[in-house]
Amino acid sequence: MKHLENNAFSRFHPISLAVYFVAVMLITMFCPHPVILLLSLAGGILFSIRLTGTDAFAKDCRFYLPLFFLVTFTNPLFSHNGVTVLFFLNGKPITLEALMYGADLALMLFGVVFWSKCWGAVMTSDKLLFLFGKPFPRLSLVLSMSLRYIPLFKKKWQEIKDAQTALGCFSEGGFLSGIRSSTRIFSALVTWSFENTIDTGMSMSARGYGLKNRTSYSLFRLKRRDVFFILLTLALAASAVVGIATGALAYIFYPAASVPQDGSAILFYVLFGVLALLPFAEETREALTWRYLLSNI
Amino acid sequence: MERLTPKKAIGYSIILVLIPLFIAGGAFLLENRQYVWISLCIAVLACVPFFAVFEKKTADVRRMVVLAVLVALSVLGRFAFSFVPHFKPVTAIVILAGLYLGAESGFLCGALSAFLSNFFFGQGPWTPFQMLGWGIIGFFAGLFSKPLRKHLSLLLLYGGFAGAIFSLLMDVWTVLWLDGSFLFARYAALVAAALPVTAIYAASNLIFLLLLARPLGKKLDRIERKYGL
Amino acid sequence: MEILALKHLTFSYPGQEQKAIEDISMRIRSGDFVVLCGQSGCGKTTLLKLIKKELAPHGNLEGEILYCNKPLYKTDDRVSASEIGFVAQNPEGQIVTDKVWHELSFAMENLGYENSAISLRVGELANYFGITPWFRKQTQTLSGGQKQLLNLAAVMTVSPKILLLDEPTSQLDPIAAADFIATLQKINRELGTTILLAEHRLEELFPAADKVAVMENGRLIAYDSPRQVCMTLKNNPISAGFPSAVRIWQSLEGKNECPLTVKEGREYLEENFEPSLCNHVSRKSDFGIPFIQMSDIWFRYAKEEEDILRGADVTIHGGEIFCILGGNASGKSTLLKLIAGLRKAYRGKIEILGKSIQKYKNGGLYRHMVSMLPQDPQTVFVAGTVKEDLLDICGIMGFSKKESENKINELSDRLSIGRLLDRHPHDLSGGEQQKCALAKVLLTEPKILLLDEPTKGIDAYAKLSLKSVLAGLRDDGLCVVLVTHDVEFAAENADRCSLLFDGELLEALSPEQFFSSNNFYTTSASRMSRGIFQDTITAEAVIAAGRAQWKD
Ligand SMILES: Nc1ncnc2c1ncn2[C@@H]1O[C@H](COP(=O)(O)OP(=O)(O)OP(=O)(O)O)[C@@H](O)[C@H]1O
Ligand SMILES: Nc1ncnc2c1ncn2[C@@H]1O[C@H](COP(=O)(O)OP(=O)(O)OP(=O)(O)O)[C@@H](O)[C@H]1O
Ligand SMILES: [Mg+2]
Ligand SMILES: [Mg+2]
Repeated sequence: MKHLENNAFSRFHPISLAVYFVAVMLITMFCPHPVILLLSLAGGILFSIRLTGTDAFAKDCRFYLPLFFLVTFTNPLFSHNGVTVLFFLNGKPITLEALMYGADLALMLFGVVFWSKCWGAVMTSDKLLFLFGKPFPRLSLVLSMSLRYIPLFKKKWQEIKDAQTALGCFSEGGFLSGIRSSTRIFSALVTWSFENTIDTGMSMSARGYGLKNRTSYSLFRLKRRDVFFILLTLALAASAVVGIATGALAYIFYPAASVPQDGSAILFYVLFGVLALLPFAEETREALTWRYLLSNI
Repeated sequence: MERLTPKKAIGYSIILVLIPLFIAGGAFLLENRQYVWISLCIAVLACVPFFAVFEKKTADVRRMVVLAVLVALSVLGRFAFSFVPHFKPVTAIVILAGLYLGAESGFLCGALSAFLSNFFFGQGPWTPFQMLGWGIIGFFAGLFSKPLRKHLSLLLLYGGFAGAIFSLLMDVWTVLWLDGSFLFARYAALVAAALPVTAIYAASNLIFLLLLARPLGKKLDRIERKYGL
Repeated sequence: MEILALKHLTFSYPGQEQKAIEDISMRIRSGDFVVLCGQSGCGKTTLLKLIKKELAPHGNLEGEILYCNKPLYKTDDRVSASEIGFVAQNPEGQIVTDKVWHELSFAMENLGYENSAISLRVGELANYFGITPWFRKQTQTLSGGQKQLLNLAAVMTVSPKILLLDEPTSQLDPIAAADFIATLQKINRELGTTILLAEHRLEELFPAADKVAVMENGRLIAYDSPRQVCMTLKNNPISAGFPSAVRIWQSLEGKNECPLTVKEGREYLEENFEPSLCNHVSRKSDFGIPFIQMSDIWFRYAKEEEDILRGADVTIHGGEIFCILGGNASGKSTLLKLIAGLRKAYRGKIEILGKSIQKYKNGGLYRHMVSMLPQDPQTVFVAGTVKEDLLDICGIMGFSKKESENKINELSDRLSIGRLLDRHPHDLSGGEQQKCALAKVLLTEPKILLLDEPTKGIDAYAKLSLKSVLAGLRDDGLCVVLVTHDVEFAAENADRCSLLFDGELLEALSPEQFFSSNNFYTTSASRMSRGIFQDTITAEAVIAAGRAQWKD
């Protein structure tokens, strides 16, 4: 995951990133219009390919495609609304509308899943801690410590296990003795962690933690590019809200699927499309710039 | 009493006016998905008072550290016992945190464990609900710490139920999210599909409470005595 | 000016009859470099913690500590936080945050510095300590030496007036340790920071120190300039831990000034002794049957990581103490784990007593066969008291109750841990933990004993008893593999030494050959006596040679 740190989009300020992700995810979750969902899913997939490569995406597909069909085709089993009856199953109608709604649901589900993936890759723990640290400095410190402890304890766990194994006190054979041995080590780990991390607490007070007027330092600086990006995001997101409010982005599945025929809808599609494709565009632009710059050397 | 500075006044008015407006506006706009919207807002906002109280407390660094350790241990427990799938001590540790450190710490331990473990298992719109769910489990463990500490059977009962109810409630939200309303058929299907996992999960809660309750309490006592917490 | 004054300081831990600190009075002048030494468990850590009020342990305190002529416990929190810096023994325990840059800014954030001031200071210090290359790294990924340096830098950000350090170099290899001490000296000289440092490895420290304070059972028995201390404590057993030059001078009826550095020691030898380049020492060269045979071992921790071992070959015999030396992170502990069957080499073969290591099934390898003392002694303990822990291992080894009692009593006498048996393992001092962990490992009665840095944090006296234990095991035909940074201990005890470098074990040599040919990775006795005596690599050997070679 090392290369992720260096991609163009994640160099935005954490606030810009958070605004962007929250806006896109909320719109995806709350606007059931298939065009919007398709755009969102496309944006999410393209961005995640940029972030983690095609191999990872292919792997994801193998896992998600069956799920996609599962959600689509099971929806008619739960929901019998709709006017176009395809056939009857156990005396219950299976409707085209329910099937379409199932596909729409699956689109939303996977749109959110892919955006969450991108969020996970871009919003690294230090960025989240920065965001969290403004309103909740103490909590964010607790989180920061826990984040440090997780790999530390993992290492300690392995060390204790090694030490006990080499003394002949650990056996993994069998379910019960496995659990017994693991619990023994977990208990030793708990003791170790309490005793040693109190030192950390002491070391914190020793370095003045808890004094009044604490400041918080970070390596993140809000640049002009970030402000511009936030404004752009907000404007595009607002257009989607207007679209929802005016009904231009409404889409009704039941009883019969119908799209409000309104020319302005196209405009809203385009605007949301721009929003959803922003990260991908930014990444691509950066990649091209790099290639150009390198060719000049 | 602290004085009401203009900055604070603005802060309060945001909380008192804008947030309800935000929620109502969203609910109004989103007609058929309003329940999802409202529930999401509630899940996020319900955590805020707990966090705010924690911030207001005078800094007791050692308690912070103990909390951080418990959170880390609960996340780590998943790896430690990974040789049995779905067998993890998270809920048990959250309950014990509430039991020994008090209701608030219990809530925080639960909420932060959910937040942190999703760094490894994927963040998403489900995060606030998991935070709230685990938080509440820890919170009630803290509220009823007296009887729970006294009777192991009560503790086990609580642990088993808490785990099961947590899974059931999470499924409720999944259904809400998918349909915008509560479709019982879908809910039943989800619960049925998750049944084996839920069962292992509840069992692991019981086992870990049984194994960890005494020793963890003893260890915390020792720390308290040694460092005079 | 006097920066710190202790007046009749007495301290005991709750529920402990014996006083950890007893009636200590001392004054420290501003700008002094003071070294605090003494047996393990004599109260060094306790004393240092008492001076840093945020770390002061719980217990019963009498007497007074004055900081800049004011009672320490009444100084302002802000003053204490910024002016008194503390670096503890365990580098891991002190790091608070997950990123290096955040760790550096942490103290300044607490004291409410502005962002711009923090940027400047952090940048400056990162340069001074050479941290820039790993500035944005995760603290978890640093090596031991880097962590210790980070701790020091993090404390230095708020420009403390006095630095308290508790065995800061105990886990560092000799070269890294010397670097660390040089950095401290630089801080002391260039910034005038007062330094109070507790340590067992005194070789490099005596020459650097202005004052040496020696403690014994909680009391201060000497506090003076290093030379003066060496003169006054001439016949005290504590001086067994002093630098080689001092010990040689003391044993050879030292007259005039006591030498402290290698250079002075050399001058002393040249002036007083006839050079003699004939060889007196003869060490064992025929060993028993091979116990461990490794051939062409390749190992890495994960697929995408680098190789740690690249074709290591070695044969270790019964009746031999085999010592492995090498820099930090060179893979010594990894090698031991491979021999103990805890990790699997992806290429190559390991045979234990002629049988491939994979063929030992169901823990058979650990039934009176192989046993290992890990680098961190705390990982050995699982019970609530030392005694329970020892009984636990006896149970697993299948000893009867009576047998167990006898064995434990005998061992605790030999390692002098009798009075620690009823204590919680985590309440012991660093050196005491080390000894108790060793006891637990010895109870498994293995044929092959693997020891990972068994001498860190223990005093010279305990090293002597360890020496006799190891010699006893060797004479019983056991095979002992010793990993250590303590070149003095290796020189005294090993039958063969080998350097782990670039993933390979270089050819194993007798300690005489090994240390006399090295210039840096060697003992100071060897550096001091080179060209004067032949193959004298330990202080004892120099003393023996000296006795025979008096001038006139
Ligand atoms: N928390 C504690 N509770 C009870 N006794 C303690 C505690 N910590 C230390 N002691 C005891 O106090 C004495 C002094 O311990 P201290 O850690 O100061 O020794 P030290 O000189 O630093 O030793 P070392 O060189 O091994 O680190 C020891 O006998 C130790 O067992
Ligand atoms: N569990 C692990 N997973 C991944 N890498 C590891 C692990 N343990 C050690 N390493 C790496 O392997 C290398 C060798 O480590 P090892 O602990 O064997 O060194 P060492 O020679 O014992 O050092 P020291 O003298 O500091 O104890 C180091 O670079 C270390 O970071
Ligand atoms: Mg100590
Ligand atoms: Mg090592």
